[in-house]
This record gives sequence, structure tokens and C-alpha cells, in this order.
Amino acid sequence: MSASAVFILDVKGKPLISRNYKGDVAMSEIEHFMPLLMQREEEGALAPLLSHGRVHFLWIKHSNLYLVATTLKNANASLVYSFLYKTVEVFSEYFKELEEESIRDNFVIVYELLDELMDFGFPQTMDSKILQEYITQQGNKLVTGKSRVPPTVTNAVSWRSEGLKYKKNEVFIDVIESVNLLVNANGSVLLSEIVGTIKLKVFLSGMPELRLGLNDRVLFELTGLSGSKNKSVELEDVKFHQCVRLSRFDNDRTISFIPPDGDFELMSYRLSTQVKPLIWIESVIEKFSHSRVEIMVKAKGQFKKQSVANGVEISVPVPSDADSPRFKTSVGSAKYVPEKNVVIWSIKSFPGGKEYLMRAHFGLPSVEKEEVEGRPPIGVKFEIPYFTVSGIQVRYMKIIEKSGYQALPWVRYITQSGDYQLRTS
Amino acid sequence: MGSGLRDRALWKVALGATGSRPGRGRSPCSGDRKKEAAALPGGPAGSANRANRPPERHSSPRAGAGAEAGHSKRALPGADRPKQRISDGRRAPGRGSCAAAPRGAAGEGAGRSASGRRSALGAPAGGGGGRGGAAGRRRPGGGGTSAGRGPGPIGAGRRAEALGRRPRPGGGRALGRRGWEWGGGPRGSRGRLGAERAGLRAPGGNRRSGFPRQGWEEPAGTAPGRETMPYLGSEDVVKELKKALCNPHVQADRLRYRNVIQRVIRHMTQGLDMSGVFMEMVKASATVDIVQKKLVYLYMCTYAPLKPDLALLAINTLCKDCSDPNPMVRGLALRSMCSLRMPGVQEYIQQPILNGLRDKASYVRRVAVLGCAKMHNLHGDSEVDGALVNELYSLLRDQDPIVVVNCLRSLEEILKQEGGVVINKPIAHHLLNRMPKLDQWGQAEVLNFLLRYQPRSEEELFDILNLLDSFLKSSSPGVVMGATKLFLILAKKFPHVQTDVLVQVKGPLLAACSSESRELCFAALCHVRQILHSLPGHFSSHYKKFFCSYSEPHYIKLQKVEVLCELVNDENVQQVLEELRGYCTDVSADFAQAAIFAIGGIARTYTDQCVQILTELLGLRQEHITTVVVQTFRDLVWLCPQCTEAVCQALPGCEENIQDSEGKQALIWLLGVHGERIPNAPYVLEDFVENVKSETFPAVKMELLTALLRLFLCRPAECQDMLGRLLHYCIEEEKDMAVRDRGLFYYRLLLAGIDEVKRILCSPKSDPSLGLLEDQAERPVNSWASDFNTLVPVYGKARWAAISKYQGAEHRGPELPNTASFASSGPLIPEEHKETVQEPDSGALMLVPNCQLTAEYFEKTWFSLKVAHQQVFPWKGAVHPDTLQMALQVVNIQTIAMSRAGAHPWKAYLSAQDDTGCLFLTELLLEPENSEMQISVKQNEPRTETLNGFISVLETVLGTIGDIKS
Repeated sequence: MSASAVFILDVKGKPLISRNYKGDVAMSEIEHFMPLLMQREEEGALAPLLSHGRVHFLWIKHSNLYLVATTLKNANASLVYSFLYKTVEVFSEYFKELEEESIRDNFVIVYELLDELMDFGFPQTMDSKILQEYITQQGNKLVTGKSRVPPTVTNAVSWRSEGLKYKKNEVFIDVIESVNLLVNANGSVLLSEIVGTIKLKVFLSGMPELRLGLNDRVLFELTGLSGSKNKSVELEDVKFHQCVRLSRFDNDRTISFIPPDGDFELMSYRLSTQVKPLIWIESVIEKFSHSRVEIMVKAKGQFKKQSVANGVEISVPVPSDADSPRFKTSVGSAKYVPEKNVVIWSIKSFPGGKEYLMRAHFGLPSVEKEEVEGRPPIGVKFEIPYFTVSGIQVRYMKIIEKSGYQALPWVRYITQSGDYQLRTS
Repeated sequence: MGSGLRDRALWKVALGATGSRPGRGRSPCSGDRKKEAAALPGGPAGSANRANRPPERHSSPRAGAGAEAGHSKRALPGADRPKQRISDGRRAPGRGSCAAAPRGAAGEGAGRSASGRRSALGAPAGGGGGRGGAAGRRRPGGGGTSAGRGPGPIGAGRRAEALGRRPRPGGGRALGRRGWEWGGGPRGSRGRLGAERAGLRAPGGNRRSGFPRQGWEEPAGTAPGRETMPYLGSEDVVKELKKALCNPHVQADRLRYRNVIQRVIRHMTQGLDMSGVFMEMVKASATVDIVQKKLVYLYMCTYAPLKPDLALLAINTLCKDCSDPNPMVRGLALRSMCSLRMPGVQEYIQQPILNGLRDKASYVRRVAVLGCAKMHNLHGDSEVDGALVNELYSLLRDQDPIVVVNCLRSLEEILKQEGGVVINKPIAHHLLNRMPKLDQWGQAEVLNFLLRYQPRSEEELFDILNLLDSFLKSSSPGVVMGATKLFLILAKKFPHVQTDVLVQVKGPLLAACSSESRELCFAALCHVRQILHSLPGHFSSHYKKFFCSYSEPHYIKLQKVEVLCELVNDENVQQVLEELRGYCTDVSADFAQAAIFAIGGIARTYTDQCVQILTELLGLRQEHITTVVVQTFRDLVWLCPQCTEAVCQALPGCEENIQDSEGKQALIWLLGVHGERIPNAPYVLEDFVENVKSETFPAVKMELLTALLRLFLCRPAECQDMLGRLLHYCIEEEKDMAVRDRGLFYYRLLLAGIDEVKRILCSPKSDPSLGLLEDQAERPVNSWASDFNTLVPVYGKARWAAISKYQGAEHRGPELPNTASFASSGPLIPEEHKETVQEPDSGALMLVPNCQLTAEYFEKTWFSLKVAHQQVFPWKGAVHPDTLQMALQVVNIQTIAMSRAGAHPWKAYLSAQDDTGCLFLTELLLEPENSEMQISVKQNEPRTETLNGFISVLETVLGTIGDIKS
């Protein structure tokens, strides 16, 4: 890939900041971007890839900003998008929230970062942890004299600095599974999948060597552990952070690596084995034209009785011209959010096996409006701690460093809703 | 451009706010931030938020052996309130707004650590000793509540109750079992440390989230002209900044000095011309402050092309910095120097680059390697420096992975004319071995370069493929696609390997298709479609992945529908059709129509089911649905004649719901061709004939003529009268030539006798073999492998062909119609050669039409540029501005301003832009007494070839006009 220039535009398409990396595309080309985008949108043919003359615009939108890369080459699209997303990620790590205002406020750092992220159109140092070592935000302090050269910039292991020191050596492991679900209006499950990630937070000195053991079925079969006692999980599409030695995983399913410092996502996996939807919703939405809408929603926790789903939020669509809401819930509270045209029913804690009910009543104006409305689905958000749908478990985490310190691994499991939608009729 | 002033005013508002409230950067967004954090599907999802997440939420597996035991007996007491923990996690990101929050969270964490420790009780022995120690250590920092907590089970249990103020729905103990696993002793101390960490880090985060360089903002008193600055034109600002920069007091105070420089950059970012302070900025580059250096160098890189003579002065400083002891400074200086983009800089940068290539810091080497490519680009077409190329080739063995990849990139650029960097066996193998050390960008890049390598033997080929196998499962979609392409190309003689690879990447591709990033998802879907062309059944078992979600953007939904249409098979056709039928009534008409067309596509294989669905859709009596259904029917009866009967039965009544041209044409065609089976066909056509006067689309009239004549052949009695009326109208009253000609043609044809009409008009009514409407021929993988993972599948082949045609020699309208695809179904030029094709021949000048410059912009640019060319042109008499303007317009030169005819002296300002974006600004000055026209041309990018081209165009025009005159 190679980008000729990178622009950050505000929502009206006015460049906030830009960097011309290659100089082969006139910077004024960006003026064509917004009109083109509008035109495409009008035609209903909007795509994240636009072209004007010889120039290709690859763009993403983040909050109220457009990030646009221009290129003349027949570039690798996914790589350019990845780059833009990575840029957003790096900026967000610096300013917490990447938006028009934070760009304006921090334009010096943005320039500094753009300078380091890419040179001559090619991605360079993209790791925000490494960047943070030498692009700091202590703006008030004057960096005088010889600033320390970040060792990482010259390191063999590009993702970890040498000479890290922690008083206490610890690793935190988060096993997070999100459930994506799509249920048809007639109640049949169209799609159900689990996307799992294992995230690590590492506070370890030196250059430690880590080995993670999971109850991976393939591994169990390899080692002959696949007895009836050991529950194992078959992982699909396992993807690892760059630090994991893939050859070892391929050979004997060992996950061994030298971790980066701090937070990172070690691996992700997918399971497409059908599981019972964790929270099942039945809904009846009756619309009496010109008078009222009556909504009845039944939610059932279809997970183990010992588990509790927290922060359950069920958003039920209502017509945009509905008024005078009235609710009745067996548990939790319901709230009408007119700007999104939904009723949100929140249940703080929802134990497994329980069944709750909500009724809502809305008035409808006697004069019906012209345009037809879509049928948005019912969405559910929840979080079940100490529980994984797949049953994945961390069996061990071995930490070996040449200085021989004792390090402590900690584990936590969470299951949460991903794209969890139930269509309404 | 015209809105420049308004935009500036907008800036001012924003800036004003910045100035008046220093803390603003933080306050307004904090609320949002909190909301945002709460909206996250789970606290941990936002990685940025996690930095300060209270760590007490973890339990500890003991390292090494025994862990499993601990794990299998998870019956640990010590429940905690999960809800509360999670909410802590969520609160953490909002911390930026209130410094107290993290401390609160930490306190809570510390308190909770006690309950955490309860879990330790259940843990097998190992942890005990450590725990004791840890508890001891924890006390001092742990906060009052947690101090003095005994490790005994009973005490802890009680405390658990004491702590559990909130009702626990599942019962404390039951929950606890699933609580902390392997809760080793150190939990307590962990809590303390967590508290410490949260406490320590929070302020850091705070500082960051807010307005980090607040200190740099001008303190109110020191910026006299500040309020009036951004919108009172740049001159005042430049003057004021210049004064500030020269002020020895400012220079003495580093912080103030940097503030002023920062303001210069801020204005530059806003698009104000700041080149006026170039000298002062050059002086400011001599500083020990690296941030100031960066800013000044950034400034120089931006304005050096405008002030090449002054920029040369800066070279000294840059050269000096290139030998600074700090590698960051060396790298920065070298990078900036190479980015100056002005003529004459080459001779100065050569030595620093060579030094940089041998620098001991890899940071500098990275910069230097790319510097070589930049230097080469500056030279333009100069010949390649062999020594440098050799040096770069040897640097492929560098320690640093980025240096290696940069070498490849740089060589590619330098050797562009010769076909790019050469990948021979040693290099290829070296790169293959380095692959795991590279980051995803590097990996993708190397995979792309490896495409060029031809393995000598089959054995070597398969060795390479084995080495690369793991990259098919990379977590980066770019790498996955890159690896796939490499596999497909390398194994082009082994179709089974290709198929195997496509099976392997199925998972990663599917994952990318449900990626959180819409754009990546879109790109992946486009590639899935590409694969489906060759392997139609490839994704059939995963058809549910391509069901659309309500909130997805349009372009993804459309792609998914296309994919669904292509992966139907006997097993899933029912479900797919049911899903597609749901989309047909979507609110978005475009999407609904796409879904109907998709059903039409499936109907070619599963005719009956689809025709039934389509017929049901007609019952909805929605205009946008009916028209598309009828169009689908038209194509369908042509390809699948067996459904004619069903279609004919469905048609009556449709005419009431069709308003657009396409739909009418389709309906009329159907009525004409299959009219004998539709009882009321003549009456429907009669309605059209009645209203033909108000019909706006000529195409509909044409279709009507043909259809009616055809129908006349099989149902003469009902049609004769209206055919006469229609012909009369078309011949006598119609204004559209084509329609009239068609009418006359049919009239004469009828005169020739009915047999003749039949012979000419009655063709076969269907022809399934005609592949024109169908594009389902399986394409071999090799036909698209070279396009895989480029922009081609993302644009779609048809559009790409249109675009690349546009990018070729001649300029046409921006969007060629999609029909262009028929002409260009062959494989496109392989990627390697495409670059050279796209590059315009040096010297060939292409002026872009419709380059509309505003007068203000012209003026600004005019004053910022140097005269690139000046000459006089003999001229006699006065000028006729209109004639001249017209003539200039013909060659795409725009007139910005022109004196009236006979003015004295006569002046004109012209502008033009070529296809590379290079602007030519021209002044014509005619002083009649000298009887010559003085031409001054300015160019925003110094390129002599195009300049000469432009001048010759201008001379031709003036010469022609002059000739007419004399």
C-alpha cells in the first residue's frame, strides 16, 4: 500500500489537518471529495472508495470526522482501511476521544504522530505504546538536552521495550466472549455465533516468555487428555497477536510469546456452534392505526440459574409518531427514548432461568404521516460475568524470565452481547 | 474556496472558545465520554479505557503445576458484586472529567480486595504463605476499611456479608462459586497495588485527556492581536507574528518562543499563507527543543516550494542536525530535508542520506532508506545511482524489520522504470525467513513483493507455501488477503492447491465480513463475490452470515444481497428466498429493488418459487416494487420460457403502478411479445396510445411502436385502429427524430405487406443461450488472481475499467456508463505494468476542463508564486476579449479577469490546471505602443516539460487570434 496523502476532514468536508506524504497528488484534490461523496450518496451508490480522475479516495468516518487517504496506485484496500483505523486508534489513545475538537486542540501532536506513523506513504511505527515513548504530551515541559532514545525504536523485538521494570510482576487475563445473534420475526434463529477474545494486561519486568494453556480440544486430543473429565472447546478461526509464535501453535498448539507491555489483545477466536440464545425475547407489537400501539415483551434468561446477567437493556422499536407512553414492567424500568424511537427496558440484574414481562402503551396521532417506516429489530445488551458460553478456560499461564522472578496471572471471564438482534414483524 | 471567509469565521468561533476557557477541552466532552463508555458493549471492549481499570477484578491462577487442580475445584467462596465491578470498569474512562473518580474506584478496589481474598480460602494450599505476606503488605496502603482483615474463613465470610450491601439475586454463596478462580494469596496486595496504580495513573490520564498543551496557549496578556487574528486577513497576522518571532524577549523565553511558533503552525493548518515569516522560522530551527524543531521543519517542508531560495538557508541547520548525537533529531532532520521538494536540494541531501544509511540507530536508517526514494523522485527522470541501489540491496539484511521493508519500498520506487525491485532466490528466502518479525504492514508489503518471485522447482514452491501457511490465518485482513493472493499466483498451475487455499481462507474472510469496521467488511465482501464467481458453492453453507442487519450501511447490504444471490443451492434456497423477500419491502427503495433483482437472478435456476414470490410482490401495488418486478419478468421470460404462462397471468393490473421509463418499457415489451396470452393486452396498450402525447420518454414511445405492431400481427382486429392512430401521431406530431423515423419505418414496412412485417418483426421470443443478460459463466481463478487484493474487486470490474479508461490518455466525462463492462471483460493489464500506463508521459500536457478558480484564490496563489516563464509575443492592434476568452476556453484555459476592449494598457489573467493538479497562472499584458504582448506564466509545481507544453498551447491560441486580427 502507499498513500499519497492523509486528510482529516470535518463533517462538512473541510480539511482540519493533512499531511502530504508523497507529493504526487495535488492537495487541492481533496476539494473534490465531499461533492463526490454527496453525489454518490444521492445516487445511492456510496462506497468507502471513491475516485476522481486518477486519484482514489479511501475513507472512513469516525464520530464527526472523515479520515481520507488518497492514492494513485491500485492499492490494497483492506490495508489502507486498516491503516486508517489504526490511525484512529493511535489518536484515540492520545486524546481519549477523537473528534473535531480534539484534533484542533492537539494539532501539534497530530502533526507529530502523522509524521511518525507514515513516511513517504508507507506505514512506519504504528504501535501506540512505542510512539508514546517518544511523543509525549508533557507539553509544558521543555525537552532539552539529550532526550533518551527509546530503545524500542532500535529493538529486535519490535513490540516490547527492553529494560522494563515492575516491582510486582503480574498478568491479567480477560476472556471476553460476545454473542452475535439474529432472530427472524417468526422466532427462528438465523445466525448465532460467539466471538471470543483473550485480552492481556501485562506488568512484567524484563523479557518474559509466556505460555498460555487453554482447554483447547485439538490440544487435548494431541496430548491424550481428551478424557471425559476434561471439558474442551473447539476453537475456530483462531487469530493471534503478532507476538505469538505461530509455528509453535501449528506444531503442538502451544501459545507461547513475549508479550508487549500493557494492554493488548492476545488472540481471538470464533465458535459457530449453535447455542441457545442467552436472553430470549418474545414480543407482540400491535398497532391500531390512528389510535394506539400496544407492546408486550417477554424476556427469558436461558442460561444457568447461578449466573446473573447485568445491565440488561432491551430496546424495543416504536413508531416515530407515537406519544403518551405508559409502561408496566414486572422488573426493572422502562424509558421512552423519542430521539431513537425506542423504549429501553433496563434490568439491573437478570438471573438465569427467570422470565420477565414488560407492557407498553403508546398513543398514535389520528392523522397518519406519509412515509413508510422501517421495521427496526429489538436489540438486547447484557453482560454475564464469570461465565463463558463456549466453556473456554485458562488452564495455566506460565511466565518464565531469566531473572527468575515469580509472577502472578489473574483471570476473569465475561460473556456479553455483541450484535444481538431480534427482528420484529 | 469561495467560502473561505466564512470558514475562517467558523474557525474563529472555535478558537475564541479555546482561548476563553482553558479547561474547555475537557469539560464539554466528559459527559459524552461517559455516555460513550456506558454505551460500550462491555467495559473492556474499549482498550483505551482499560488503562486504569481497577485490576481487582481478576482472580489468579497459580503459575504452573497445580493450576488445573485449583481450576477444577472452583468452589471458592468469596462472591463479589459483579455489577459493581463492571460499573467500575465503565466509570474508569469517564475519569478524565473528575480526578476524584479513580481514587474512589481505587478505594473501592482496595476494599473489595478483602472479599477477593476470601476466594483464597478455597484455593489449594500453595497460596497461603504468600497471602499472609501480601496481606501484611497491603495494610498500610489499603485504606481504612480493608485494614485488619483476618484471613480466617469465618471472619471473611462475615465481612462478605457486611460488604454485600446490595441484594444479591443469586444468593451470595451460589455466585461465589463462580467467583475468583485460583484466588491465590496475593489478591490483597494486588488490590493495594491496583489502588496505587489507579491513583498514580489517573492524573496522567487526566492530563492527557484534557488539553495537553494548555501551557502552550498564549497567556492572555502576551498575545495582543490575538482576538482579531484569524479573520482579518493574513497580512496583519504575519506582521504580528513576525514581530513576535524577532522579539529578543520572546526568543529568550523558550516557552513563549514555542508558543509563537505554534501559532504560526496553527494558521498554516487553517490554510492561511504563512510564508511571510520564513526567515524568522528558519532562525527558530536552531534550538535544543525537539518539539519546536519538529514544528519548524514541518513549516519548512510546507513552504519550501514557495521560497526555495530562503529554504536553502535552512539547509545548514538541517545538515548540522543530521549529525546530532540524538538519533531522533538526526532522523527528524533527515526526513525533513528529504521532504523539502524543491529543486536544487538534491546536492545537499546526498551526503546526509549516505551517512544515514550507515547510522547506528535504526530509526535514522529507516528514514534514510526512504530518503533515497524521495531523492530519486526529486531528480525526476535522472538515471539510477547504481552504488546507492547496491547499498539498499545490502540493507535488506538489516537487523531492523522496518528498515528491510523500507528498502523494498524504496528500491521499488527508484527502479520503477526497470520494473521494480528484483526478487531473486536469496532475497526471497531471506524475506520469507524475516516475515514473522515484521508488523502487519510489512508482512503485507513483503507478500506483495514475493509475487514477483518464480520458484525454481515444485519442491521450492511448496516449501514456500508451507512457510507462508500461517499467514492465511493472520489477524490482519490485509495480510490474509495478501497471502491468499500470493498462494493463488504461485500455485497457478495447481488448481487443487488454489481451491485448497480458498477453503482455508474461508474462515478469515467470513470473519472479515462481519468485522466491526464497515470498510473492511465491504472490501471482504467484494472479494467473497470475486471468489464466488469461480467457486459458486464456496460459501453456501455460511449463507446466514450474509443476512443483512438493520443498521448496516447501504453499500454493505447491497453487496450481501449480491453474494446471497450467488451462493444459493438446493439446501439453502428456501431460507435465502425468504430472507430476500423480507428485504423487498424495505423502506429504502434502492435496497428493495436490489433484493428483487436478486430474486430475479435466482429465478434463473429456481424459477417457480421465485416467480411466485415476485407475483405476490405485485400485490403490494407499490410503484418502486412493481416496476422492478416487471423488469425482472421481462428478463426471465427471455431466459426461462417455461415461466411465460405464470408471468402472463401476473401482468394484468400492473400498468396502474408503473410510472418510470424502465418499467413501462418492460411492460410494453412483455405485452407486445406475449400479447396473445394476455387477454387485455390491447386495452393496456391502448391506454398508452391515448396518453402518448404526454409521454415524456422517447424510449417508451419506441417500445410502444414495436410492441403494438407485434401485437397487431397476432390480434389485428383489436389493434388496427389504434396502430393507425399511433403511427399518425408519431409521423405527424412527434418531435423526437428517432421516434418519428421508427414510425415512418414501420409505416413503410406495413406498405410492403404483412408477410414482410412478420419476416422482419417476429424473432424468437426467448433465447436462454443468449448470454447477454447472464453473466454467470464460471471464471477460472487465474483470470482474477492478479486483481485479487487490489482496488479492482472493490470497485467492481466494470467500474474499474471505466476508471482506468478515464485515467488513461484521454479525458472523458467523469462517469462512463456501466455498459462499458461488455467491452472490457478481458483481463486487465497486470498490476505491475499498470503503474507505467497510468503515469502520464513526461512532457505530455493535459489541461483539465472545468478547473474553476475563484478570483481570490487566484490572487493569493499568484502572489505566492514566482514567475516561471516570461516572454513577449508580437501583437498588432487591439484585442477582442470575447474572442480570446472563447478560444482559450476551447483549450481549457480559464479566464479569471480581463480588461475591457480597448483598455490601455490591456491586461488579462488566465488559469489552467493539468491532470496532475499543477496550476498554471498567466498574465497577459498588452502595451499597444510596443505592439507586443507580454506573457508571464507562474506554476505551482516546477515542472519544465509541462510548462513548455502550456506555453506552446498558449502561443498557438494567441497566434491564431492574432492572425484573425491582422
